[in-house]
Amino acid sequence: MELLCLEMDTNIRARPDPNLLRDDRVLQRLLTIEERFLPQYSYFKGVQKDIQPFMRRMVATWMLEVCEEQKCEEEVFPLAMNYLDRFLAVVPIKKCNLQLLGAVCMFLASKLKETRPLTAEKLCIYTDNSIRPQELLEWELVVLGKLKWNLAAVTPNDFIEHIVRRLPLPEDKLALIRKHVQTFIALCATDFRFAMYPPSMIATGSVGAAICGLQLDSADHCQWGDSLTDLLAKITNTEVDVLKECQEQIERVLESSLREGRQQQQQQQTQRGPSGKGLDELDQSSTPTDVRDVNL
Amino acid sequence: MASHKSMLSPLRGTRRARRNLFGPVDRDQLQVDYQAALRKDLDEASRRWGFDFKSDEPLETGDFKWEGVPETRVPLLYRSCVVAPRRAEGPRVADATVLTKGARVEKENLPQTPEKRAGELEALERTPEKGDTAGLKRKQTNITDFYQAKRKVVWMPRKSGE
Repeated sequence: MELLCLEMDTNIRARPDPNLLRDDRVLQRLLTIEERFLPQYSYFKGVQKDIQPFMRRMVATWMLEVCEEQKCEEEVFPLAMNYLDRFLAVVPIKKCNLQLLGAVCMFLASKLKETRPLTAEKLCIYTDNSIRPQELLEWELVVLGKLKWNLAAVTPNDFIEHIVRRLPLPEDKLALIRKHVQTFIALCATDFRFAMYPPSMIATGSVGAAICGLQLDSADHCQWGDSLTDLLAKITNTEVDVLKECQEQIERVLESSLREGRQQQQQQQTQRGPSGKGLDELDQSSTPTDVRDVNL
Repeated sequence: MASHKSMLSPLRGTRRARRNLFGPVDRDQLQVDYQAALRKDLDEASRRWGFDFKSDEPLETGDFKWEGVPETRVPLLYRSCVVAPRRAEGPRVADATVLTKGARVEKENLPQTPEKRAGELEALERTPEKGDTAGLKRKQTNITDFYQAKRKVVWMPRKSGE
């Protein structure tokens, strides 16, 4: 027998398994167990003394950037945020250790989900060497203990395929929809107001927001309109009003983050003066194409 | 994650991802906190299982009744690599266990990254403090470093609230 080594630098992945995606039991099971992995308290109102919601946002944005730059799997960032929130719900932490915690959470999430996980050394570099690999490994153990080694948390990403496949969507648009949903989910993970929401609700709201944003419902608006929300609500057993509210909240968060981005851009432009068009700026002006697609 | 690049880039402007967010870390305090957290974990585990993991003895007050099982009667996986003094009369067996266990752990800890990739990343991954990076891969802590326990009762019902 001849053995061929076809190993390449790209990650080989399994195809979506229709047995898992079409069986309703899988979705129902996910819905049953998802609550187990929610943070137990809104921790800024009790447990945490030194850290503030805006600091969570800072560390979250940083984590997202690291995951992007390292081309992590999509679920690594939301999963890492789940670890972070669950830890913060039980252990008070000082501001100066928050980035260490963020790095530890990425380290764990990456190990759980990726073929080639992030290394401790690399993560330390991303903190500008403010932490050492040894500290990362030590605190990994502490975080694991506090999470009771329950790492395989349900994330909003787990629901995407289950929801999307139950909707009458044009096949050629599925990839784009998925991409937008993932982006909305990441956005929600950076915002503390979503930290206590069940993952299924965030996923459902994100699918709704993505479909509306892409105006896939515009051709026959009357038919989709409310019925999209109804259909979505039914798939994940969410209440229609709650879902609507969630979707609107997601859209508001996107809008404000885009506005903030534009302001930042303008600030940078004025700082640099009209003639100072740097490389960064060129890069920026070419990036928000997807945002225009969302059409706010 | 290419999609985020375009849609979420407004979130961050043109900063570098490599940055220190909240100023210098108090190393000594961090180490103190770490030791305290481990001790607390161990105490909680002791209370929960009614077993003193430090002295390797059952607690009088626990809910469980502990029973010793000879190491040879449990699967290899459950054998401890820490040789307890009172088992010293059987050095043959103990040595064999240590060896097997050691070999297995070693293999598990081998980095799976292909050589080529590892080489590429080396420059990036090297931290300025040289010397302490060399032994890191091996130094990753095992749970057994802190819980020097032998599993004597193999199965137990899980407590609720997990």
